[in-house]
Amino acid sequence: MPLFILPQTALEPFMERLRTVGELHGPLRGSDDAVRFSFLQTGDQPDLTAVRSLLPPKKYLLAPDETILTYRPAAGYQTPAHETGPLILLGVHPCDLAAIAYLDRQFLADPPDPTYAARRKRLILIGNSCTPDNNCSCHQRPSALSTNCDLFLYQQDNGFLISVETPHGERLCQSLGDLLLPAEDQQLPPSSRSNFGLPLPAPSANELDAHLPDWQRLADHCLGCGACSVCCPTCSCFEILEFGGLDGCSAERLRRWDNCLFKSHSEVAGGHSFQKDRAQRFRYRYRHKYRGYGQLQGVPSCVGCGRCRAQCPTGLDLRPLAEYLEKERP
Amino acid sequence: MNTSVPLAARINAIRHLTEDTALFTLQLTERPRQHQPSPARFHPGQFLQLSVAGAGEAPISYCGFPSSDGSIELCVRKAGRVTAALHETALGGQVAVRGPFGHGFPLEHYAGQDVLMMAGGLGMAPLRSLMLALLHQRERYGQLTLLYGAKAPEALLFRHELGDLANRKDLLVRLAVDRAGECPPGIPSCRIALLPALLEGLCIAPDRTVVPLCGPPSAYRFLIPPLLERGIAAERIQLSLERRMQCGVGRCGHCAVGTLLCCVDGPVFAYSMLKDLEGAL
Repeated sequence: MPLFILPQTALEPFMERLRTVGELHGPLRGSDDAVRFSFLQTGDQPDLTAVRSLLPPKKYLLAPDETILTYRPAAGYQTPAHETGPLILLGVHPCDLAAIAYLDRQFLADPPDPTYAARRKRLILIGNSCTPDNNCSCHQRPSALSTNCDLFLYQQDNGFLISVETPHGERLCQSLGDLLLPAEDQQLPPSSRSNFGLPLPAPSANELDAHLPDWQRLADHCLGCGACSVCCPTCSCFEILEFGGLDGCSAERLRRWDNCLFKSHSEVAGGHSFQKDRAQRFRYRYRHKYRGYGQLQGVPSCVGCGRCRAQCPTGLDLRPLAEYLEKERP
Repeated sequence: MNTSVPLAARINAIRHLTEDTALFTLQLTERPRQHQPSPARFHPGQFLQLSVAGAGEAPISYCGFPSSDGSIELCVRKAGRVTAALHETALGGQVAVRGPFGHGFPLEHYAGQDVLMMAGGLGMAPLRSLMLALLHQRERYGQLTLLYGAKAPEALLFRHELGDLANRKDLLVRLAVDRAGECPPGIPSCRIALLPALLEGLCIAPDRTVVPLCGPPSAYRFLIPPLLERGIAAERIQLSLERRMQCGVGRCGHCAVGTLLCCVDGPVFAYSMLKDLEGAL
């Protein structure tokens, strides 16, 4: 893995050079003090030391609302044209990179999702090291997920140490050649990536017990607002909606973020819901986050970004529960 | 394989079965794209996604015999937005389909077995597909029994076929209705009872009987205990679950049953897989 140094003073020209390669996006602090991944115009200063963005980068891969099919009577259903051309995401933390690795496994497995695949193909990922805060758990829990990116920036006192992670990143570095200094004798610093890509212990017997009282106690504090799921970098449930056009014969099919904490999530025709109780839904979400389901059963999807803890209006924290349940491993 | 784009199909026939349920025969008018399976080739118990433009898409069980000529039979009750729009579509009208999805009944394990089919209400639709497949190769199977219950005589589906089926020597048909009503002509006699009561007096060899079960979500809780009491192992009871499968490929999350996904792991599951799963039944 070749290493280079990017001096702090070269950050602006570095970004300007990236803009010639593709559309540049990164974490930008707004007037409301929230950090959002946004389009970086010349002159915009990305906040590369922010602990977390309000929404994770999943919005670039699964838009909150997106057209997946169009219908015209003569042509039938058709996949809409996808945007092309590189989109560079600068400043993606290890947890969010691991989350993208999880979404890739879910959406690129056979049969690949065409909309996701098109969006993923244009992404160039530039990772960024960070210092976890009290809400983060990436440094406490091992994760089997990898932190794939093209380049990774390690924050240093006067700039960044850049590691090249893919051939794509290597080509990018070549075009940046004059801005980078060789990193002679430099070692990769210990980073917040160290807990990713590790083998996982087996689930404990305790976790399968639906009657542990903690579920009800925790669920009693849950308002069911769904904020944790909206801001979760791996929550990817969506609902599919169709709208008829005003011409009376065309139509558009959309998919929109959905939320397993809502009762409607498990409803079937006729209104019967299979997860009527909030405690059931709460437990369901926990199990999905920490144990996975479907083809990704056994792969925890919590990457420890801490967004759910930061956003929960009642300060719910699943970590003590996870620790409690994991205590009695067989 | 790209299963995300529905293929155009024409409604070739509509047979009204009850007040709110009809049998639609569709004909594919668009060829499957490269590497895409044909929605007309399926295993009984699988489902497809039916699109009515402007209304959306809904998962529907296959109801007929797998065809090679691209025709598809679907038995659909007017229950939601999409199914209501289908019922309003005229003969010759255009819809679209994608599929097949999921796992159907494990027919390969049924050879040499007695098959006790139990259907409640609209559950008759997927079981009809299974029954047609079993009768097509009748010699491969042991004793075949169909127990079918509906709310009232006029709610029985496929009445035009039940009479013929009841007259067959190689299939035992027993019908039950919750309440009496005017019995339409041609229907074999039916008892006023709940579906589990049809098991009474039935000769069952638990070690060589498989039970495909199809009914409304609430019915399973009443249907399964009497089967277990008769000594039928949980692995031998296969039931089809109803969930709101939206994407069909295990991504949208709506059809999760505990740690399983109805659309890819089901919709037909052995009861042994479900009995300890929270929220399954």
